[in-house]
Amino acid sequence: MPQPTNATAAAGESPLVSVSKVQKTYLTRQAPVHAVASASLDVARGEFVSLLGPSGCGKSTLLMMIAGLEAPTGGLITLAGSEVKKPRRDIGIIFQDATLLPWKSALDNVLFPIRILKLPMESYRQRARDLLAMVGLTDFENKKPSELSGGMRQRVAICRALIHDPEILLMDEPFSALDAITRDQMNVALSEILETYKKTVIFVTHSIREAAFLSDRVVVMGGRPSTIVLDMKMPFPRPRRFEIEETAEFTSVCRKLRLTIEEAHGHPPAASNASSASRGGGVIE
Amino acid sequence: MATTGVGTETGAVIAGSAAADRGGLSNLRSISLPLGLAFLVLAGWQLAVTIGHIAPVILPSPISIVRYIIDRYDILLMHAIPTTLESAVGFILATLLGVALAIIITYSKVAREALYPNLVFFQLIPKIALAPLFIIWLGIGSQSRIAFSVFIAFFPVVIATTAGFMSVDRSMLRLCRALTASEWQIFTSVRFPSALPYIFSGMKIAITLAIIGVIIGEFITAQAGLGYLIIFATARADTEVSMAAIVVLCVCGLLLYGIVALGEWIANKFYAADTE
Repeated sequence: MPQPTNATAAAGESPLVSVSKVQKTYLTRQAPVHAVASASLDVARGEFVSLLGPSGCGKSTLLMMIAGLEAPTGGLITLAGSEVKKPRRDIGIIFQDATLLPWKSALDNVLFPIRILKLPMESYRQRARDLLAMVGLTDFENKKPSELSGGMRQRVAICRALIHDPEILLMDEPFSALDAITRDQMNVALSEILETYKKTVIFVTHSIREAAFLSDRVVVMGGRPSTIVLDMKMPFPRPRRFEIEETAEFTSVCRKLRLTIEEAHGHPPAASNASSASRGGGVIE
Repeated sequence: MATTGVGTETGAVIAGSAAADRGGLSNLRSISLPLGLAFLVLAGWQLAVTIGHIAPVILPSPISIVRYIIDRYDILLMHAIPTTLESAVGFILATLLGVALAIIITYSKVAREALYPNLVFFQLIPKIALAPLFIIWLGIGSQSRIAFSVFIAFFPVVIATTAGFMSVDRSMLRLCRALTASEWQIFTSVRFPSALPYIFSGMKIAITLAIIGVIIGEFITAQAGLGYLIIFATARADTEVSMAAIVVLCVCGLLLYGIVALGEWIANKFYAADTE
């Protein structure tokens, strides 16, 4: 499949994140598993890019490599011009589970990175309160995670990712454990947060609508071994409001994304195809 | 009552005040029921001894045991002190050893593979059978009783603490690594506090085992201690004394257990509170 050209949002300016010909191969006992065959992608400063694809397409693996948590087996990832070899302080990360410390209050959980990064706690406390206010959790700052709903916990996790003012936010299916209604609310909340705290975001999801609603660009990953099969700009204006999901344009964009995913994964799963997909999926995700 | 319980979440919130009342009632029940049963058993015992004319050598009555404890508390206290102290020392050493081994098992794959199966095998030995050997190795002083008590008590701490260290959420560890946290930071701010409930549950088992270890040691050698008093009094058919010693032993065990529970409460407060 030919590699699509990477449309960098702001032409001329060098991209903040540059992924070029990155591969990831896991060695298993049976045979090597190619999680990512060759992925190239540029993300400009301030851009919101979604990595979209079904489970096991290597999108989370790619995100973990950008975070410096996994090493690529080939290719190069640079962040602000320097190669990513290990985790770095200017990244905020959010996982599918909120992963809060259960014995800490919401406020202390938000301040957790400050403690790890050994920054002055006092000067960040107000910022933590502002962030919690932004996501509507002012009255919950002293509550323990067990006293919060799933959506609230994930909002605390977003605040935690933003507390040390990282350049870039990496989100790995952050809302996929939430129910559909909460998920829609979180999408709106996230786009509001990003209007205030402008960040570069790489967002992994397997929800087409979510990707289309949130992103400036949607990158579809698929195929086996996995590559980038589509890199598409989202034509919707900002700020995004829920009404855009009801437009014909939104529907046609979603259809295009869905057809691309289906095409990349082969037409109605043939027996051999399906079995290899399920096996690979277990290894990668 | 059952029908209101099946209500929705909001229903439960609205019914909050009623639930609180019920909570108060069930609290009273949870105290009065076991106390009532214990009282009934003691009363039955007392009656059986009095009416049935059971010889005090076979079974002294509860009242006579209590009377003995009140009259001769000085002797009982004299024997309770070494037992309690040795149990406490054995318990503390068992906890330190257990947590240290758990750290080694958690952080070293080689140690884990070498140690863990051996520890489990070791656990299968009926350890009480080894008590006399400790006398040969360490003599008849406190050190052999403390060593035996450590030997019996450390195992649950190792197992529980290792489980605790391993139970840390993988995403949490990833988050820490993404934040460039050092292994030491991960240990102090995530692994150790996450493992605390496990460590304390291991410690609660260990404290009871530590006391058993000391008592067995005292059965074999000691010249003082509640275990010694029990053996000594039983040999002289002084059942009342030996029963009194057992009652005092229960109190000492409760005291030590209470200290561990208090420690857990303090540790939880500490970790919930400290922000710096």
